[in-house]
Amino acid sequence: MQSAASADPLDPLPLIAGRQDSDSLTRIIFTPVWEKTRRGWWFLFLLGLAGTGLLTAAITVTFKEGIGSWGNNMPVAWAFGITDFVWWIGIGHAGTLISAILLLFQQKWRNSINRFAETMTLFAVMCAGMFPVLHLGRPWFAYWLVPYPNRMTIWPQFKSALPWDVVAVSTYFTVSLLFWYVGLVPDFASLRDASYSRLKRIVYGIFALGWRGSSRQWHHHKIAYLLLGGLATPLVVSVHTIVSFDFAISQLPGWHTTLFPPYFVAGAIFSGFAMVLTLIIPARRILGLEEIITLKHIDNMNKVVLATSMMVGYGYLMETFIGWYSADKYELFSVANRMFGPFAYMFWLLILCNVLAPQVFWSRKIRTNVVATWIVSILVNVGMWSERFVIVVVSLHRDFLPSSWAMYKPTWVDFGLLFGTISFFGTLFLLFLRFLPAISATETKELYKELSEEHAEATAA
Amino acid sequence: MSDWILGEFASEEKLLEAARELRAKGHAQVETYSPFPLRGASEAVGLRRSKIPALALFGGLSGATAAYLIQWFTNAVNWPINVGGRPPHSAPVFIPITFETGVLISAFFIFFGLWIILRLPQPYHPVFEVEAFRSASTDALWLSVESTNPSETEQLTNRLRGLGARQVSVVPEEP
Repeated sequence: MQSAASADPLDPLPLIAGRQDSDSLTRIIFTPVWEKTRRGWWFLFLLGLAGTGLLTAAITVTFKEGIGSWGNNMPVAWAFGITDFVWWIGIGHAGTLISAILLLFQQKWRNSINRFAETMTLFAVMCAGMFPVLHLGRPWFAYWLVPYPNRMTIWPQFKSALPWDVVAVSTYFTVSLLFWYVGLVPDFASLRDASYSRLKRIVYGIFALGWRGSSRQWHHHKIAYLLLGGLATPLVVSVHTIVSFDFAISQLPGWHTTLFPPYFVAGAIFSGFAMVLTLIIPARRILGLEEIITLKHIDNMNKVVLATSMMVGYGYLMETFIGWYSADKYELFSVANRMFGPFAYMFWLLILCNVLAPQVFWSRKIRTNVVATWIVSILVNVGMWSERFVIVVVSLHRDFLPSSWAMYKPTWVDFGLLFGTISFFGTLFLLFLRFLPAISATETKELYKELSEEHAEATAA
Repeated sequence: MSDWILGEFASEEKLLEAARELRAKGHAQVETYSPFPLRGASEAVGLRRSKIPALALFGGLSGATAAYLIQWFTNAVNWPINVGGRPPHSAPVFIPITFETGVLISAFFIFFGLWIILRLPQPYHPVFEVEAFRSASTDALWLSVESTNPSETEQLTNRLRGLGARQVSVVPEEP
């Protein structure tokens, strides 16, 4: 079915493959939720739980021993913790981009992948949110960031980027969760009505809130969903801008630049799309969703990856140019230290993964090749992590005074937190694939109807 | 104090036509049910513009105002802190939190406003009495209309059949 589409390169790839109707779409989308748990799922789930155990161990050590158990030292006060935080937040951004910005632009291809991407956002933001709290040193005082009236009559200092981060990330998580749930309610109702087991009917029925799909309900639901999408769009841009302010409002060479906000947002979208591809390519195969998540979707996502890759590439170029143009010897040194210093391999790794690897997507053949896409998407994830490492650690470890320079070495706790959050993310994602429809049934049916009408009009004309 | 008459329709056009027809005959309580939003359904059953955009605007403005005032009061009035010589009331640094809080409160107004307007969660509804109505959320199109007395129920059942309903069910009012 899909190979036939590539016969004529000018023929558009289909968004939904094969002949379908509401009933067959319901079956394709809900089968992964209805069928018995597979052995492969258990294997991956246990693996994820084991990794989550590692995360728990690393968090316990951090709480008990303090930040001293990490590799952080005195010029490198921010290291893996902030690198991981920015990396996870960035991954989350593709979800909001797909669900909100593409919704406003009325891009039809978003409909089959938005649920997937939104869920990824939620879980990625959960992982991201852990790091600033762990990094506080005394995480039990995290509530000091909230302006509550207290005996000491003191307040948070709102002129610092830390309270901005708290508000931005918690708002981002909350709004993403509300948006996700509002989109899910009609699907919960569909699951309540179409499932055969009594337990499923009751559980999904509770989450469906008594949704009936009446014209009155759709009337308000549609506008609420659109407005939440409209709010999420500036939100996603603002969140990563605020994250970049953590760096940009400081005076460190390599951080003190106005380039950061747009370049961080582009990088976030870049890494997020890569993560969607990393997850969706195996999932569509294993769950039998190839007729709904077609090569057209992968093709389109790869185009976004290519475009954002060029944007971050431009960012790297500009950073280097401005370093030279500033004629400031600290800036010049920071650029040179990135390229040829002790962590030069991280810089060249990021150039290889973020700028060079995605160039293969100029070819349509590679954009529609799932194996090649998957490999490049993993490289991009690695590259974006290296980018944040270069920004955080490499800028810090050699700043103004050579007498205060130091090298940075991560400990097992640092790696435990990184791989632990990856496992935790994977575990949550497996639970999502098991219990919730990975694709919005409502929006897919609506899309199918629109596509059939378009097709009918085209053949009539 | 009413019976519910439910009819299933084969196509969107017939469903919306039936809804318009019933409303024209003076039945105000007409509803269509579909697995996804239908174009023209809101007009066919005579819904007015949603109040949710107004709620969103109100929520956003009040959230942003409150956030700005809190920052101004805490950092400039109640306990002024001198950070690097910046003025205690420094508008640019208050903008990020003002914006984010505006978005947050607006989203809360949309979310909770939606459920309040729709009166959800609502565990029970008369239409759930009909087993065949389960298809409304997956692939079928249904219409419901309320009647106040047995003779009207009879008349509406026939009219729904006449308008092209494939099957008609009545949920009688509990005595």
